[in-house]
Amino acid sequence: MEEEEQITQEDDEFEDEETSRELVVPGEVLTEEVQDFIPGRGTIFNKDKTKIISLHIGLKNINKNYINVIPLRGIYTPQPGDKIIAIVVDKNPVKYKCDINAKDFAQLKPRNTVKRMKSRMGKRNYEQDDLSTEKFDIGDILIVKVLSADRLNKPELTTIGKYLGKKNGGIVISIDPPKIPRLIGRNGSMIKMLKNLTKCNIFVTQNGRVWIKGDNIAYERLLIEAIYKIEREAHTTGLTDRMQLFIENEKKNRGIE
Amino acid sequence: MVLLIKDEYPEKLFQENGKRLDGRDKKELRPIKMEVDVLKNADGSAYIEWGNNKIFAAVFGPREVHPHHLSKPDKGILRVFYRMATYSVFDRKRPAPGRREKEISMIIADCLEPVLFLELYPGTAFEIFIQVIDADGGTRCASTTVASLALADAGIPMKSLVTALAVGKIDGELVVDLSGIEDKAGEADLPIAITWFNDEISLLQFDGEMDLSELDTVLKDAKEAAKKIYEIQVNTLKNKYISIQNNIEKEKGGED
Repeated sequence: MEEEEQITQEDDEFEDEETSRELVVPGEVLTEEVQDFIPGRGTIFNKDKTKIISLHIGLKNINKNYINVIPLRGIYTPQPGDKIIAIVVDKNPVKYKCDINAKDFAQLKPRNTVKRMKSRMGKRNYEQDDLSTEKFDIGDILIVKVLSADRLNKPELTTIGKYLGKKNGGIVISIDPPKIPRLIGRNGSMIKMLKNLTKCNIFVTQNGRVWIKGDNIAYERLLIEAIYKIEREAHTTGLTDRMQLFIENEKKNRGIE
Repeated sequence: MVLLIKDEYPEKLFQENGKRLDGRDKKELRPIKMEVDVLKNADGSAYIEWGNNKIFAAVFGPREVHPHHLSKPDKGILRVFYRMATYSVFDRKRPAPGRREKEISMIIADCLEPVLFLELYPGTAFEIFIQVIDADGGTRCASTTVASLALADAGIPMKSLVTALAVGKIDGELVVDLSGIEDKAGEADLPIAITWFNDEISLLQFDGEMDLSELDTVLKDAKEAAKKIYEIQVNTLKNKYISIQNNIEKEKGGED
């Protein structure tokens, strides 16, 4: 079975050294020392610039002189370059409509699904340019890359690239997008541990969808349970060790391996 | 048609010992219980029991607007659907949304809008569905309170939570948190919503008669009482996560 690429560039924000375990709610005052701190992600000044206020329910985090709030719930905002799992929900002769778990449906144009060959001797190879939406069907699960995304227009996707394209087999589950960094762990520690212990292929994407495929249905079910447990306990400390213990215990209880 | 219970108001709204009909002091709130994340399919949800009021709120969004002509190209819209169950009041309420429901939906949307960043989500809608299961005075305030809790639970960026409650005047005395019967038989009724970002008033309705000096006093009382409700809101939101942490620590302790 081919080895899947890991998406591990995102650091585990939850386990930064300076992340306090302090929960904050929207409107809560984070600090009144405005000379020493700058409002970072998920924070705002009040009207008179005398206080820094949280915008989300999340964990307070101080990075140098920035105050951030790491949200615990939220929606996925597509960024150009993200590799995500999309589901084809509609198609017409010129484009596919894809559900990417964001506020808009994304569009995938057929010219972004076939690799264009360089024209040879000034002639275009018309057989390669199959510019119709015959390649994928409604309900297909695709791994795609975001080409462009902003807050006004619909995101555009592509399936040209390494590891991109249609996925056959496997299971896709959804979790809260802000908890994805926790599932990956610092430098991919959590995902490596899950992979080794359950012998499954896992593909984690930033829009909160996880594709898993294992040799054995028992392992897959254990892995799904473990991922939901990580989602539920994402804000707690010492999660990687606890998950390792959980999986080893469950393996014994279920009599697998 | 014979009415089983006569719709009569009591002559006095205070007992002989100076307490109100339900045994409260003048500035005492009814018992309040809140819960978040009660509905599985909603992005965020909350439930409140405020005295005899029982209200659910569910938040969806940002998502596409239907009908599409309501969407705005430069900002998102907030739509609130306040509905009462047929069995929530004494006489059966006709299920079709009437004038009162449309008005309350509008005022709740108007008083929650200032705390949201709608300009970040152009062409989309946030939708709040509020279902009143049981009503006994002050449902618009309880609905506003629970709707802001559901918005925070959904992870939507907000400047602050919103707290609302009703104050008023019954039998010549200024009181806090009117119940259903005090609302109907009293002299004045004043629902008020406070956004804690800069401590601004987001909703102020008035019905009845009151002096200007009394209005000042009653607004001060309202703010004090709202602070108590705000604390319950904050604790409810935090408890969802703290209880998970506590359970883990308890399990750990059990193993050792």
